[in-house]
Amino acid sequence: MPAYEFPGGITLLERKDRSNQSPLRNAPLPAQVTLPLKQHTGNPAIPCVATDDAVQVGSLIAKRDGMVSANLHASISGTVTQVSDSAITIDADGLDRWQALPPLDWRTENHAVLIDRLDSCGLVGLGGAGFPSYIKAQIADHHRIDTLVVNAAECEPYITADDLALRHYPTDIMEGAQIVARLCGAQQIVVGIEDNKPDAIRALKVALSDFEQINDHPTSDQHRVNITLKVIETRYPSGGERQFIKKLLNLDVPSGGLPADIGVLCHNPGTLLAALRAVRDGKPLVERIVTLTGDAISAPGNYWVRLGTSIETLLLQAGLENQQLYHVIVGGPMMGVPLSTLDTPVMKTTNCLIAATREELPPAPAESSCIRCGACESVCPVQLLPQQLHWYARAESDDTLEKLHLFDCIECGACSFVCPSYIPLVQDYRSAKQRIRVKRIETAKADHAKHRFEFRQARLAREDAEKQARRQARRGQIRQPSDSSKASDSAALQVDLRSLRIAQTAAKAAVRKAEKTLARAAAQDPNQRHDDLETQLATAQENLKAADTRLTEARATMAQQESP
Amino acid sequence: MSMMHASQLTAKSTNAKSLTAKTFNATPPTAQLMRWVIIATLPGLAVMTFYFGIGVISNVLLAGLFALGAEALALKLRQRSLRPALSDSSALLTGVLLGASLPPASPWWLIGIGILAAVVVAKHLYGGLGQNPFNPAMVGYALLLVSFPTYMTLWSPPQSFIPENLWAQIGGTLPASMLDALSGATPLDAFKHKGEAVLAREFWATQPLPEGALSAWRNVALAWLAGGLLLIAKRIISWHIPVSMLVSMALLATLFYASSPSHFASPFFHLTTGAAIFGAFFIATDPVSAATSRRGKLFFGAGIGALVMIIRTFGGYPDAVAFVVLLMNLCVPLLDIYTVPRPTGQPKAQQQTEQVDRS
Repeated sequence: MPAYEFPGGITLLERKDRSNQSPLRNAPLPAQVTLPLKQHTGNPAIPCVATDDAVQVGSLIAKRDGMVSANLHASISGTVTQVSDSAITIDADGLDRWQALPPLDWRTENHAVLIDRLDSCGLVGLGGAGFPSYIKAQIADHHRIDTLVVNAAECEPYITADDLALRHYPTDIMEGAQIVARLCGAQQIVVGIEDNKPDAIRALKVALSDFEQINDHPTSDQHRVNITLKVIETRYPSGGERQFIKKLLNLDVPSGGLPADIGVLCHNPGTLLAALRAVRDGKPLVERIVTLTGDAISAPGNYWVRLGTSIETLLLQAGLENQQLYHVIVGGPMMGVPLSTLDTPVMKTTNCLIAATREELPPAPAESSCIRCGACESVCPVQLLPQQLHWYARAESDDTLEKLHLFDCIECGACSFVCPSYIPLVQDYRSAKQRIRVKRIETAKADHAKHRFEFRQARLAREDAEKQARRQARRGQIRQPSDSSKASDSAALQVDLRSLRIAQTAAKAAVRKAEKTLARAAAQDPNQRHDDLETQLATAQENLKAADTRLTEARATMAQQESP
Repeated sequence: MSMMHASQLTAKSTNAKSLTAKTFNATPPTAQLMRWVIIATLPGLAVMTFYFGIGVISNVLLAGLFALGAEALALKLRQRSLRPALSDSSALLTGVLLGASLPPASPWWLIGIGILAAVVVAKHLYGGLGQNPFNPAMVGYALLLVSFPTYMTLWSPPQSFIPENLWAQIGGTLPASMLDALSGATPLDAFKHKGEAVLAREFWATQPLPEGALSAWRNVALAWLAGGLLLIAKRIISWHIPVSMLVSMALLATLFYASSPSHFASPFFHLTTGAAIFGAFFIATDPVSAATSRRGKLFFGAGIGALVMIIRTFGGYPDAVAFVVLLMNLCVPLLDIYTVPRPTGQPKAQQQTEQVDRS
């Protein structure tokens, strides 16, 4: 299959050989972990343990709040020492006892059970955004998906976590891909990988030929997916979701849309591995592969790290030389952020830590004026006009920015990379986007208040319905022996039952719609809170509960009247 | 929050093995960019000096010097730090370009006035580097051309390396009576003023130009072309503006020539005389005052080429690059609005209207 081209793009110094030479290792068990409640898109999880509780590896310590959120599990066995607003701290007992869920066979288990497993294991996308995987797995409810793409491009310099995962667990990752493909109903899986990972490509090829043999066997299961491997040229940012889909399938994801709109679902190999472990082994998401690299550490490489491990401890174990260290970057050098303090835990989304020396990633030289040379424009993978955006962002002309499609910017940093005047363009775009978002939230405040009011009304109505149901039940029990049913009531009740059933169906549809809207909004804008949509979903859920209650109540009354 | 920059890659290319700057799409830093353009003017300047004498060098040196002075003065008045702005060589480049456009051995005061208009008025009054809507060197040139036409048409015929009156010329002490003796028509000028009744064939038969003038101008154009190609090869400028400008000039010239070969000059004549090549590669490509998008640049260049041909053929001036570049600079905001490229994933214009219809 030929690879297609996305516009722009740059070639970078990869510096991947620093971390991909040594095999995957286990980082030593931490003596203490700090698990932030928000390690994912959406609302922070709500703690469900208290100080001094004993926990095992995999014990649920915080539950998801609302739809877009994720469960959180203890990553070491020991005692909870602190539960704060933002994090839970656990001291290790050194025993590393596991509390796993029962294993499931994904080939025979039904979808709901599998989705529930992804949800309860707190699975989120491990590539960077941390989007809850169970929502993505439900995509088949409202989109027809025909292709699952596995994004193994890993196009940022330094990072090799997916590379190592693919080398060590190619079969597991492809099995995880098949689980997800089954859940979303995809007929084909396309794995895309940059040609700078020959070992991973070899491992994948072996794994795929093994799969083919199993599939050729007549007794293999009914759901067959066609798996293709596509090796693509190394060019940043080929791993951007849209660029990746363009390159692999020659499809354009519409602006403001999702890959699902064109029948594609995108997953990262690490997430697929975690999905398989959650299903097959019943292991919640408590550890991940992290690339430790940079010139300031002596033992760079990839490590299995328990979530919540302090970054400082981790880097010291990998031979951090403090005098050499200039800054630590979480993520890649293009899109990552420098850490202000090393006293930060590893999270579900931490894929790479670069302990860089000053010579390695020096501070940017002082910015000079834009001379409109157009270098940025020629490398922009979205074909925006970065310098126009730059002028308007600094002038705060937000309307023009939106007209120039600021929100199509994927913040890949290619423009800043080539700018001869060292202008930090992406920073300008990020702050402009944030400013516009705040403005939008301001204008949506009235709506939000209205939606909160509606939620309250819905809750009261539901409580009323439940109260009435209890009263009815009590009255029914009293009245039952006396038996004073009237035949004429039955017809009226029949009609009533019918309209209640309709109401319940409508409420169900409303819930589904609210879920869909929220899932969409959250996927498009993973770094934002979506309180308003969560409220609307909660309202729809309250309405559904009320409708359910009324319906069961009416049915019960009916049954009472007919039975005697 | 990009932590990496292209400049590191060029600096550290030792450990990047065979990867050249080209594969990185690396643009050199702004100051280096300006210096590269100055370097690329050297072949053109050398050949001009060869044909028109040392007066070319004196122009460029004086203009460069004045430009740095004017930049420093403007920065001082604007209370900006001198160092970063002076070391980016942008003012020096403006000086070199203006110096190269003036007739050889122009008097110092002429150059001074031109530089003041270019650096102080056209650049700093608009906010300095990157903010000027008009090409500074061409603002200076146009001002001089309208205000001091006598001095601006002093293109002496190809002459000895060091003309006898050099110092008097530069010093501005040459009496006016001597000026006429110095002046000679450029090929464009001569052809322009051949008169309606004279056919092109008859015009050339009279040997209207001093010996060697045509080949001198052609060789100068070739030298500028060499410098321009260097800039493109170095990715300092993109091909869009020069190519579209020269193509549109050639097309129009061919059209005129084909319609009446006896009245109009050949396309080759148009491309190899005057400021066509110099303008295409060194003047029109000034990124600050040119259109931004690639499509906009094509329109911008084509517009310049077309207007140059129209003015050369029907207008009052023998050549028109300076005026035309300024005219097209005026159109840049409009071009920028209408040539915004469609980002990937955005619906095509047709679909967009359909969507509006549906909603």
